[in-house]
Amino acid sequence: MSFIFAVLRQVFRNFRQTWVSQLMTMLTVSLSVFIFAFFYLVYNNMLSIGDKLGYDLRLIVYLEEEPIPELQEQLRRKILAFDEVEDIHFVSKAEAFERFKVQLGEDQDVLEDMPEDFLPPSIEVVPLKNLRSLNQVKLFSEYLSKLPGTIKVQYGQDWIERFYYFTRLVSIIVVLSAGLLILTSVFMVSYKIRLTIIGRKAELELLKLVGATNSYIRTPFLIEGILHGLLGSTLGLTSLLGLFYWIKMKFSGPGILNIFEFSFFQPPAIVMIAIVSILLCLTGSYTSMRKYLRA
Amino acid sequence: MSDQSTNAMVELIKVSKTYRPNIRALEDVSISIRSGEMVFITGRSGAGKTTFLKLLCKMELPTKGLVEIDGLDIRKMQGKRLSLLRQQIGVAYQDFKLLTDRTVAENISIAMEVSYLKQQIVRKRVRALLEELDLSDKHSSMTGDLSRGEQQRVALARAVANSPKLILVDEPTGNLDATSTGLVMDMLAALNNSGATILIATHDHTIYRDVDHRLLELRSGQMHQLRDGVMQ
Repeated sequence: MSFIFAVLRQVFRNFRQTWVSQLMTMLTVSLSVFIFAFFYLVYNNMLSIGDKLGYDLRLIVYLEEEPIPELQEQLRRKILAFDEVEDIHFVSKAEAFERFKVQLGEDQDVLEDMPEDFLPPSIEVVPLKNLRSLNQVKLFSEYLSKLPGTIKVQYGQDWIERFYYFTRLVSIIVVLSAGLLILTSVFMVSYKIRLTIIGRKAELELLKLVGATNSYIRTPFLIEGILHGLLGSTLGLTSLLGLFYWIKMKFSGPGILNIFEFSFFQPPAIVMIAIVSILLCLTGSYTSMRKYLRA
Repeated sequence: MSDQSTNAMVELIKVSKTYRPNIRALEDVSISIRSGEMVFITGRSGAGKTTFLKLLCKMELPTKGLVEIDGLDIRKMQGKRLSLLRQQIGVAYQDFKLLTDRTVAENISIAMEVSYLKQQIVRKRVRALLEELDLSDKHSSMTGDLSRGEQQRVALARAVANSPKLILVDEPTGNLDATSTGLVMDMLAALNNSGATILIATHDHTIYRDVDHRLLELRSGQMHQLRDGVMQ
């Protein structure tokens, strides 16, 4: 009988004898994976929404008066002095009026009595894609507001700030749920194995006395840990996938959720979550066995 | 075991064992047991017979002195080396150490499974042992459901299953009737004839009265030789 066969026999026997506690441990691990993966998925999707918002982000610098070409060049240099930008576009009063007219569409007749130069001239600044963090955008905005002749700078502060704060909150929840995953996986599996050791103390003692090597005693428990991690993460991620498609189906059609494209984890992320779960469960199992075999 | 007639399988030199707080189980025991020898150790309850056997399979460590099995210092045996040594020592414990929620066959198989013997060989050996000890009908019974005498025989079957070179038996006939005692002693004699060294701790004088093996007595932790033995 080979080592592998002997060990697998032991694993099968353990699962058969303690299937209820094995199932409970696996469900706990899968629930932890589910909670962590859920928030991580939300966070990931928020990051991609953030990317999309960042792609459309532009700062509008309203000016007191239309800059002459020489002043335009000076302002351009000042803007570039802060950081490289993707585009700088000067909008004259006339162009602003024309744009506003287009935006009003059928209601543009309300502008009939208005002078064509009532809107302030502005500069549209499109930052580079690396200028995305809230702090950087804020700093850039503050810098632009101090340029001579600036009335104010707009970039949808309120909305963007709320979005970034929410993203930060989700990232904290992701970290907390990762902590939960670590605690439950390591400690649950560790205590489960410890309970098994106590329950099977007589058998393990006997195995030592009849000459079982430490590997013979330890390996089935390590495999149990691996299986808890593998099955737990598979169940947790499968449940999340089910929930993901359910939400997509339920909320399909016109609505806020359709503005953005939500996506599930890419295969590398799925594999990574499964590997981390397996490693955590393996750690729990290993620490318990090490304590026992040392004793 | 190169030369059975001269090699010492068990060597104890000035071995003492004291349990806390200050209970002396063995005191300055020095003894040499040759390979292939069968030795009876007798003595009253609490004389140190079980402690003596426990020292030989490293269930206990001596407080003082040297214990060697087949030339190997037991104190230095650890990890895989200790496991391999224990695979060569079959022990039938006084308290049996059976897994009561497992079948008779499973209990006996354990000793062979740790040596990675093929399942086919394990099954065959289990059947042969059960037949030899008149337990064939108990093959699939839970050991917890057996009588004390049957459990004792299962414990013995497990001890000898792996064909060890050293067999330690603690009170092998304590719960057996005359017929079962005969079966057990016949089996041990056969194993001894095939080269195994056997140490039997007992206070049942009927099993050593009519044989010419060495007889030792433990008295207040000290070993006394009552009768010299003849190698089979």
